[in-house]
Amino acid sequence: MATYLEFIQQNEERDGVRFSWNVWPSSRLEATRMVVPLACLLTPLKERPDLPPVQYEPVLCSRPTCKAVLNPLCQVDYRAKLWACNFCFQRNQFPPAYGGISEVNQPAELMPQFSTIEYVIQRGAQSPLIFLYVVDTCLEEDDLQALKESLQMSLSLLPPDALVGLITFGRMVQVHELSCEGISKSYVFRGTKDLTAKQIQDMLGLTKPAMPMQQARPAQPQEHPFASSRFLQPVHKIDMNLTDLLGELQRDPWPVTQGKRPLRSTGVALSIAVGLLEGTFPNTGARIMLFTGGPPTQGPGMVVGDELKIPIRSWHDIEKDNARFMKKATKHYEMLANRTAANGHCIDIYACALDQTGLLEMKCCANLTGGYMVMGDSFNTSLFKQTFQRIFTKDFNGDFRMAFGATLDVKELGVGGTSQWKICGLDPTSTLGIYFEVVNQHNTPIPQGGRGAIQFVTHYQHSSTQRRIRVTTIARNWADVQSQLRHIEAAFDQEAAAVLMARLGVFRAESEEGPDVLRWLDRQLIRLCQKFGQYNKEDPTSFRLSDSFSLYPQFMFHLRRSPFLQVFNNSPDESSYYRHHFARQDLTQSLIMIQPILYSYSFHGPPEPVLLDSSSILADRILLMDTFFQIVIYLGETIAQWRKAGYQDMPEYENFKHLLQAPLDDAQEILQARFPMPRYINTEHGGSQARFLLSKVNPSQTHNNLYAWGQETGAPILTDDVSLQVFMDHLKKLAVSSAC
Amino acid sequence: MAELYVKPGNKERGWNDPPQFSYGLQTQAGGPRRSLLTKRVAAPQDGSPRETSPGPPPMGPPPPSSKAPRSPPVGSGPASGVEPTSFPVESEAVMEDVLRPLEQALEDCRGHTRKQVCDDISRRLALLQEQWAGGKLSIPVKKRMALLVQELSSHRWDAADDIHRSLMVDHVTEVSQWMVGVKRLIAEKRSLFSEEAANEEKSAATAEKNHTIPGFQQAS
Repeated sequence: MATYLEFIQQNEERDGVRFSWNVWPSSRLEATRMVVPLACLLTPLKERPDLPPVQYEPVLCSRPTCKAVLNPLCQVDYRAKLWACNFCFQRNQFPPAYGGISEVNQPAELMPQFSTIEYVIQRGAQSPLIFLYVVDTCLEEDDLQALKESLQMSLSLLPPDALVGLITFGRMVQVHELSCEGISKSYVFRGTKDLTAKQIQDMLGLTKPAMPMQQARPAQPQEHPFASSRFLQPVHKIDMNLTDLLGELQRDPWPVTQGKRPLRSTGVALSIAVGLLEGTFPNTGARIMLFTGGPPTQGPGMVVGDELKIPIRSWHDIEKDNARFMKKATKHYEMLANRTAANGHCIDIYACALDQTGLLEMKCCANLTGGYMVMGDSFNTSLFKQTFQRIFTKDFNGDFRMAFGATLDVKELGVGGTSQWKICGLDPTSTLGIYFEVVNQHNTPIPQGGRGAIQFVTHYQHSSTQRRIRVTTIARNWADVQSQLRHIEAAFDQEAAAVLMARLGVFRAESEEGPDVLRWLDRQLIRLCQKFGQYNKEDPTSFRLSDSFSLYPQFMFHLRRSPFLQVFNNSPDESSYYRHHFARQDLTQSLIMIQPILYSYSFHGPPEPVLLDSSSILADRILLMDTFFQIVIYLGETIAQWRKAGYQDMPEYENFKHLLQAPLDDAQEILQARFPMPRYINTEHGGSQARFLLSKVNPSQTHNNLYAWGQETGAPILTDDVSLQVFMDHLKKLAVSSAC
Repeated sequence: MAELYVKPGNKERGWNDPPQFSYGLQTQAGGPRRSLLTKRVAAPQDGSPRETSPGPPPMGPPPPSSKAPRSPPVGSGPASGVEPTSFPVESEAVMEDVLRPLEQALEDCRGHTRKQVCDDISRRLALLQEQWAGGKLSIPVKKRMALLVQELSSHRWDAADDIHRSLMVDHVTEVSQWMVGVKRLIAEKRSLFSEEAANEEKSAATAEKNHTIPGFQQAS
């Protein structure tokens, strides 16, 4: 329904929220009958250029177990200056500053258009942002040079008062003392032995002996939260020296013999980084940025040995329990990730190598702390350089988009208490999936015109170092599934539902066996079709889905084939990388990952979306496919021939030149803004790289059924996996069958 | 002022390496962009093969452009060429015109900034001179340095800073050794300027308080 789509869109733009169902089932039993759980995607820091933050603190409900924030759903008595909390019904007195409010003079937070509002906290000191670079020196010369230059460049992009530090590693781990004097010193650690936080802090001289009570000494570095330490200095003081230090970095000096991998002590390097920050700047926004060009091969957290003839684990190895180092390494990085998150810091991983680097084992470092994961072939590529630059992108106010140290509180009507999550690193696209459980008993009557309400409160450190609070309060109607089925159907958000189910599926896939997840996904889809499809029993041809469900089966079809659930076409590192980004992107980008976008360009009209199907591959079309991780431009056979013949250079065929340029321009729009930067494939009919397109499109015409269709249109795909038509036929048969 | 260009990616290191956008193009991108290509088409519910466009694929040349003003069947993005921007013909930036103001700025800062920092900046300016004189710097770098110096001389600190950033992003290999010195020089000059402005205000206020004749100020 057009109006519901508008409603969904407006809500997402204003509040950064998309619910699977926009009316809510009134009991637990009803909720399970709806198959798709009641859940939402929340983008806590959704960019709102039209929403200036207010410069005062939020008014809270006085009930200690509630503390909900004053919002547009609250009843207000302007004369008595009282407000009733809509969550716990407590009557609260307005603070004195609100003495002048009235019906015609409302504070912003009571106005419906401010269902999402941001407050700036004025009190408390503001601590600078901290960036600790942890750099692998076991790289090839070109790669190391490119990485050094990127790091030097980043010093120009960091704010002048941010603190920056450097740890380099290879066989040994070096913590560099940053000073403005000419001599550079560093502390060297063996890469084979892990150390506790205390040992690290002692060895770096960060802990002073206990002082006798009568002596008054100036505060020590770790007691003075905003003083810098010898290892973390402000950019404006240290940039020249650090530029030189980076420029002088050499490859790891330990020789690597034929048939061996370099000894890389990533586990200890990260451990020292975590311990250093823990001891000097706990509970303030900080990023540990790990740059690595190969797998950890030594010490705790090693992922593979140094013998090249023993390859790094594949999915097959893992399935056969043949991955020696995996469990222990994962445990090491999980321990580091948990400590980092507890300290309010985050860990980024920038892994550039042709072979795997251990992202599978290290992924918790990025995932649990809200850090980034970037995967490339080499540091000397545009993909790495620009992705890295984009970390420092500024928003419309000239501030960094990254934010730190967030806690999200979710408050629901009728449930005592609140749920809280900690997200140490996030940005305006970070999106969480929140799943709700309806606890009402069946047949409890809904209050007349009853609405449920949820409030999301996100406390965080803005990149300008201000502390802020973003509050979003939303409400939806309760509904009774039996009597209001049509109403509930119309309120289904198939896009949100697809992404939320997909996230559940990936979560299961990481803890269960692969085929079980597919079976579970199929079962849910069949049940959904049985419940909400229109059909005559035992008659598959009668099956219809209303508009609000029409795209859902397709999403599920593509999800089943996606790299998030089909792992055997990728390395464990690649799967970890794809899943990492899938778990944090907003709805639009997540959908692109599930079901890539395909647009067709031709002389027949403006560019149009086409079915992700082999029948869309035509000789006189140019296709642009966006999978989020790749942008593919594919020229149909005739277009390719024309280009080869050079028609675009002839003035009388200028429109052909424009046709060739159109998808390039659109691709550029995407490439210019997306983080991480996608790979770019420009290919044509018969090109070896055409496989990127061919593997994604539904094989509706395979060598098995090409001639059965009766007309030769579209390119045949040589594969035996099931097509969307076959999938839909099976689905309809099962949905209408009384046996299920 | 900044260059807007797109270069191809590093095909040697990554066959599908995306193109590289200049700093100017990337900062232009700015805030949230509505994704233009986000629509999908539902699969036909009755499962029949889709009606594709009628007619066989043409084997001859493409349809020629019509004489009427063309309605472009084009996408929605800006058309920025893939070739590097060619600059209008103008005289190449002169080294002295760039280095003299920078050295002057450094001299101005000597009283205000620590000796070691000044020496460090001086060393880097010498390196800049050496590279320029030795023909090691490309035309775009020289051009932008000339612009940077203009902004610096006009006290437009943010603009000068932005140019330094664009050079670091687009030409890091050429400039990284000495650019950080220029960056520091901009920062020091800016802080010196605001200090002087603050002092002037203060002494103007004190002058009024002491009823000194306006226009007669102590030489500092």
